[in-house]
Amino acid sequence: MKHFPTRRAVLGTASAFTLMALTACGGNVAGGAANTSNYPSGPVTLTVGQAAGGSTDLIARALAEGATESLGAPMPVVNKPGANGALATKEVAGKPADGQELVLLNASLITITPLAVSADEAVNIDDLDVIAGLSQDDYVLVASTDSGFKSFEDVTGAGRSVTFGTTGVGTGSQLAQTVLFKQANVNGTDIPFDSGKPALTAVMGNQVELATIQLGEAMPQIEAGKVTPLLVFSEERNSFLPDVPSAKEAGYDVPVAQYRAVAAPKGTPQEVKDKLLASFQEAFRTDAYKEFNEKNMLTPKEITGEEVVTEWKGYAAKYKELVEKHGISLSGNK
Amino acid sequence: MDFLNPVINGFSVVLEPTNLLYCLVGVVIGMLIGVLPGLGPAATIAILLPLTYGVEPVTAIIMLAGIFYGAQYGGTITSVLLRLPGEASSVVTVFDGYQMARQGRAGTALGLAAIGSFVGGTAAIIGLTFLAPIVAGFALDFGPPEYSALALLGILLVATISSGARAKALVAAAIGLLLATVGRDMFTGESRFTFGSMQLADGIDFVPIAMGIFGLGEILYNLEERHRAAKAPSKVSNVWPSRGDLKQASGAVGRGSVLGFFLGILPGGGATIASMASYAMEKKRARQPERFGKGAPEGVAGPETANNAAATSSFIPLLTLGIPANATMALMFGALLIQGVQPGPQLVEQNPDLFWGVVNSMYIGNILLLIMSLPLVGIFVRILRVRAAILAPITALITLLGAYTINNSMFDVTLVVVFGIVGYLMKKFGFEPGPLVLAFVLGELLENSLRRSLLMFGGDATGFLTRPISATLLVVFVLVAFLPAIRTFIAKRKGGAGAVTTTNNIEEKV
Repeated sequence: MKHFPTRRAVLGTASAFTLMALTACGGNVAGGAANTSNYPSGPVTLTVGQAAGGSTDLIARALAEGATESLGAPMPVVNKPGANGALATKEVAGKPADGQELVLLNASLITITPLAVSADEAVNIDDLDVIAGLSQDDYVLVASTDSGFKSFEDVTGAGRSVTFGTTGVGTGSQLAQTVLFKQANVNGTDIPFDSGKPALTAVMGNQVELATIQLGEAMPQIEAGKVTPLLVFSEERNSFLPDVPSAKEAGYDVPVAQYRAVAAPKGTPQEVKDKLLASFQEAFRTDAYKEFNEKNMLTPKEITGEEVVTEWKGYAAKYKELVEKHGISLSGNK
Repeated sequence: MDFLNPVINGFSVVLEPTNLLYCLVGVVIGMLIGVLPGLGPAATIAILLPLTYGVEPVTAIIMLAGIFYGAQYGGTITSVLLRLPGEASSVVTVFDGYQMARQGRAGTALGLAAIGSFVGGTAAIIGLTFLAPIVAGFALDFGPPEYSALALLGILLVATISSGARAKALVAAAIGLLLATVGRDMFTGESRFTFGSMQLADGIDFVPIAMGIFGLGEILYNLEERHRAAKAPSKVSNVWPSRGDLKQASGAVGRGSVLGFFLGILPGGGATIASMASYAMEKKRARQPERFGKGAPEGVAGPETANNAAATSSFIPLLTLGIPANATMALMFGALLIQGVQPGPQLVEQNPDLFWGVVNSMYIGNILLLIMSLPLVGIFVRILRVRAAILAPITALITLLGAYTINNSMFDVTLVVVFGIVGYLMKKFGFEPGPLVLAFVLGELLENSLRRSLLMFGGDATGFLTRPISATLLVVFVLVAFLPAIRTFIAKRKGGAGAVTTTNNIEEKV
């Protein structure tokens, strides 16, 4: 009997806390709704659908730091990981379209993830107003030193089945490799890892022979000679790996890279979007931001929101076509 | 000498003022909660997890580790002075410690315990220092098949060796395994048990589960237990034990160090079991066993040495293999993941600063504890007078606030409340929460590695036996699984003498 009041007290505390949090949010929303001339009316929140410390998060933080000054308002970065970023994106899409709430988008969420998950888990880019494109993060195909593969011809000429690691289901890493191997007529077993790091470790230990990983992640081991780069999946050679051929040069049609952009809820006023774009462009010009891109092997792709939408929709259609043409299923593998 | 370079660099990491400060904060908090009955290191670490979010990984883990081994010191104080064990691992210290206090030798008991803890802890760190690079040498040989075998063995050991009823531990472990399946299937992208909720698409996060079951669950459970009013503690004098006492206890300290070290490495082992085993061992070895329970110094020195040695050595499987040996280590695992550090065989090589920083911080922490533990006894005992009615709501609030801040998610707060209730009910009905949390952590590893391995082997399960490390681990698994049967068989034939050798066998292999 004794514990009844106690439990109620704890639940009471919890619900009081919930209330507090809710009212705090309410205050924020009301503050930002009025007219656009005095935008921004308070901190502009940039939500990231990935955990803190990952490459998407780092990009958001570098951008926010550069944009704060010209925007005239602080830009806190808030991480809301979940469902590859779909959770954060859907949440921001549902916020008032006043420019106070932004989200950092990964192209794969729009272009690749829908190929692997059910329709209601996917995100539609038309639910958002894209403000600006940011950068391109290239994928590189690496081989373990024990595999003996020095170039992609070695793989196609090996005449045997290979094992390859991906960074997960519905990622560019999986798409790029499955399509590439289909086109090159190589038999391969696709082994998904949780993210880039474990996949890279598996290649280093020759647990898998090949893997496709984001360049920034693979670079230290490439430089140390512990993995061999075979191909990059960008349409042109990557400036950080000038000696590695692109898949296109090698004769394969798999233009896969990770692109990132900033977006606001649909219906954000034009003046607000212009102001945001201007402050992002200001950020792009800072040395700190340029250095950041350089250090993380990111190729700047600072295009307009409209260009982002057209390009990403183009890639989504292209990937869908490739997958259907080659009879690949990203989900339900095996 | 190359091997020693990172070790020495680790010391320079620890000696940074921030890290020293956090080490001090950690051991003080540890001693504090060690004194408070009920609130254990697991609960405290669970509650403080979000706090570590903003600091460097090394600093965070140094502090959390300090809490863990600091609690082993603190738990002794109340056992000796008030006959009130602050920690489960200090329960056996009550038998002789309190008797010694009644005979006016409280100071001697505390002094012996502090010295024993220091020796045990330090011995285990030295073991850790030399063992870790050896294990890490195999780092790249650890692929999916090795991890599957390791996770399998870990879950089995947790469920069979942990204290409490075995059937209930298995039930808890099974629930943990089930919870680990929630979320998007890593291999097909299919949603499992998400009930259409996006919040569950990535599965249940480890932190809300730990904070709920260990943090909130403990708080709720402790409110139900009536706290005894603090009695006036016995006077503490003559902290430095006499030569005779030291001589009498030195054997116990040595044996406790070794025993604690090995029991700490075993998954499912840890400080509590080590202290009990050491007490039993000392009593068995003694020429006059009847002295035990009446103030025998070995009865204090042995268990206190063993629990600290075990607390330290349980870091070995976590830091070198990424396999948490007990519930507190599972929380450390969570803390490292929050920091973006994947514990595993690669840790020593990829993050030498973190690894050696944490290991070396334990030397410093143990010295700090030795210096502080005796002068601060009086203050800590006074804390016992704070009423649970005041302490509990504050800690509950901190827990919920912390849960929110990790992912800025109200859903996580709800999860903590739900698992808090689950944890409370489990404790109330005699289920240990440890196996649930450990199985949850290992379940995901087991499933993913197993499926990955089978993909690698083209569906041929015999592939596990073709690789030396996974084959060895599986043999150990079979040995452990059939140990009870083997034991009864031997007992029938020889009249029950062979059990010890088989146990030793496992200790060596793991």
